[in-house]
Amino acid sequence: MVTIADLGILRSIALDEEGCIVAQVTPTYSGCPATNLIQQMVLEALHEAGFENVRVESVLSPAWTTDWISSEGREKLRQFGIAPPTETSNSKRALFGETLVTCPHCGSGETERVSEFGSTPCKALYRCLACREPFDYFKCH
Amino acid sequence: MYSQGLIGADGKTHEDAAFLAAFQARIDAEQKIEPNDPMPEGYRKTLVRQISQHAHSEIIGMQPEGNWISRAPTLRRKAALLAKVQDEGGHGLYLYSAAETLGVSREEMTEQLLSGAAKYSSIFNYPALTWADIGAIGWLVDGAAIMNQIVLCRCSYGPYARAMIRICKEESFHQRQGYEIMIALCNGSEEQKELAQDALNRFWWPSLMMFGPPEGESVHSNQSMIWKIKRFSNDDLRDKFINASVPQAEKLGLTIPDPDLKWNEAKQGYDHGEIDWDEFWRVVKGDGICNRERLKNRRRVDRDGAWVREAAMAHAQKRAARTASARIAAE
Amino acid sequence: MSGTCEPMMTSNQTLFSYVLRLADDHLILSQRLGEWCGEAPTLEEDLALANIALDLIGQARALYAYAGQVEGKGRDEDQLAFMRYERDYQNLLITEQPNGDFAHTIVRQFFISAYMDPFWRRMEGSKDDMLAAIAAKASKEVTYHLRHTSEWVIRLGDGTRESHERMVEALDDLMMFTGELFEMDAVAQEMLQSGVGVDASDLKAEWQHTVQTILQEATLELPKAGHMQTGGRMGRHSEHLGHILSELQYMQRSFPGLTW
Repeated sequence: MVTIADLGILRSIALDEEGCIVAQVTPTYSGCPATNLIQQMVLEALHEAGFENVRVESVLSPAWTTDWISSEGREKLRQFGIAPPTETSNSKRALFGETLVTCPHCGSGETERVSEFGSTPCKALYRCLACREPFDYFKCH
Repeated sequence: MYSQGLIGADGKTHEDAAFLAAFQARIDAEQKIEPNDPMPEGYRKTLVRQISQHAHSEIIGMQPEGNWISRAPTLRRKAALLAKVQDEGGHGLYLYSAAETLGVSREEMTEQLLSGAAKYSSIFNYPALTWADIGAIGWLVDGAAIMNQIVLCRCSYGPYARAMIRICKEESFHQRQGYEIMIALCNGSEEQKELAQDALNRFWWPSLMMFGPPEGESVHSNQSMIWKIKRFSNDDLRDKFINASVPQAEKLGLTIPDPDLKWNEAKQGYDHGEIDWDEFWRVVKGDGICNRERLKNRRRVDRDGAWVREAAMAHAQKRAARTASARIAAE
Repeated sequence: MSGTCEPMMTSNQTLFSYVLRLADDHLILSQRLGEWCGEAPTLEEDLALANIALDLIGQARALYAYAGQVEGKGRDEDQLAFMRYERDYQNLLITEQPNGDFAHTIVRQFFISAYMDPFWRRMEGSKDDMLAAIAAKASKEVTYHLRHTSEWVIRLGDGTRESHERMVEALDDLMMFTGELFEMDAVAQEMLQSGVGVDASDLKAEWQHTVQTILQEATLELPKAGHMQTGGRMGRHSEHLGHILSELQYMQRSFPGLTW
């Protein structure tokens, strides 16, 4: 299971001066529909783990980037059938949307982009020309 | 057509008894069938029909909810709804791509939808009248869809099964959002509770119909079960849905609009009242309040966008020609 | 939320006004783009337009929330977004213009993105921490909006005769709303002087360069700048805004004071 720590969404967990546990999360895209839900679930998870005095903070800066996805997170994405971001977000190729994406199903590099957006803003839809699998690609951002 | 590599679908596969038996043996051994594998024409056709219907449903399903984006009551709800409708479009696209692995093109499938030859889920012929309907659609319609789709995650056709695994994850997020809208309404004022109950009253029975008519009447069911495209009967899935939904309604403090709904201790599940299958067939056959409108909208959008698609094609050709002549000049 | 700061030398009222108008720009434009949902020329474009609208709503929410905080009267993002009258909205006139055909929508979005791209980049250096943080996210997003709309401007301009003609008409129709982008009224001036705001008038050259470069590739021309419409920042709108608000505010007005 890919976690919000793997994705670099959970920025830190610390105690503040008053002994309150503060979890800092950052939104991926300004319009990400999961932002509220993620905050709510972090809060629930902390409560369930027996912590009462907790708070979730949203931090906007520095802005989230796919470079923060850990190597473990990338591997988990691939196992789930989502091709992880291939380049660092500020590379020229990422900027122009030309990326070599490897099929997470068969490993072939012979793939083509079907749509710049998939079902969520963070993904594009690709297809593999070898095994013909349609798959999501987690875009560089 | 060569590029689509229609092995098994090109009519060249000789479907003799040995081939069919070997194919069935793979199915029975729970091996996934992949796009490049040989397959009986009937299997391919069944899948094309089912996956494209599923894709069409996602696309038509954007309409009732899209109808509420401009009127959503808060910014958070507006963003969530827009994201959800985008999600449905994305699932439609994903499913069209999955169907394309079977050698049918998206253009053909779209043509079938626009001509009325292809079906889509009949639930989308019911109107979304109030904001509470957005909650009820998420809770019940997505809930019923997930019930259907979870079993499809084990479908014998690989690309469809894998698509379903990912789509189910996102759909369960929608269902949670829908239920959360219902919770907000049911924790709210009297008029909000009335909105919620009214939406449940209108969407309950159509949601039950989403599982299709009881076995025996369903034309495609039996062979689909043997091919493990389908793994549970319509009634079994409907019962599972009811058993999951009744406690959810109770938690909301809402009443399921079925006076005959009763817990059956022996079967450890609910017995429900009779479903109005006449209504189901009437709406399937085109006489729901929204059928005409839904299709007309799709046709209008297709027509209005034609000049844009033509321009994009024309530009791509010009660009390719320029690149080619630049290359020749360079050589 | 982190990043609250006490802006130096400026009254909260001015900062409130400055943040609020930016929020209005994003809300009204996203409301317009949301109307495309299910209506775009291709399924792929449907997803792209919805995505841009989502970015804009996200940016609007951050801005409204901050405006409410600056104002200090307990108004949240929804009260600010939904519970004001026509004349209280301060969005730029171009954001409320109807979608028209796809050419009009693309030109509108292209004009605005070519402006917001350098705007947000400069805002990243604002002395106001929160505006700088919002800008850091927004500038990444608007760079993409600009790229996407530029690609369409080129495709449609250099596509068929019909698409070219439609683009010429859209450019003609929308040109008169571009002057307002670069206006600096008292609020903007005060924000600029205190190091919080951006000098919009200074963005004009970059905007023109971006727009003309793309239009040239699209075999199109920027129409001559004639009389420029203005008034959005003072709440003097075109007739379109009232209709947008009647949909946007419908639920909040029909059921005042409830939680959704």
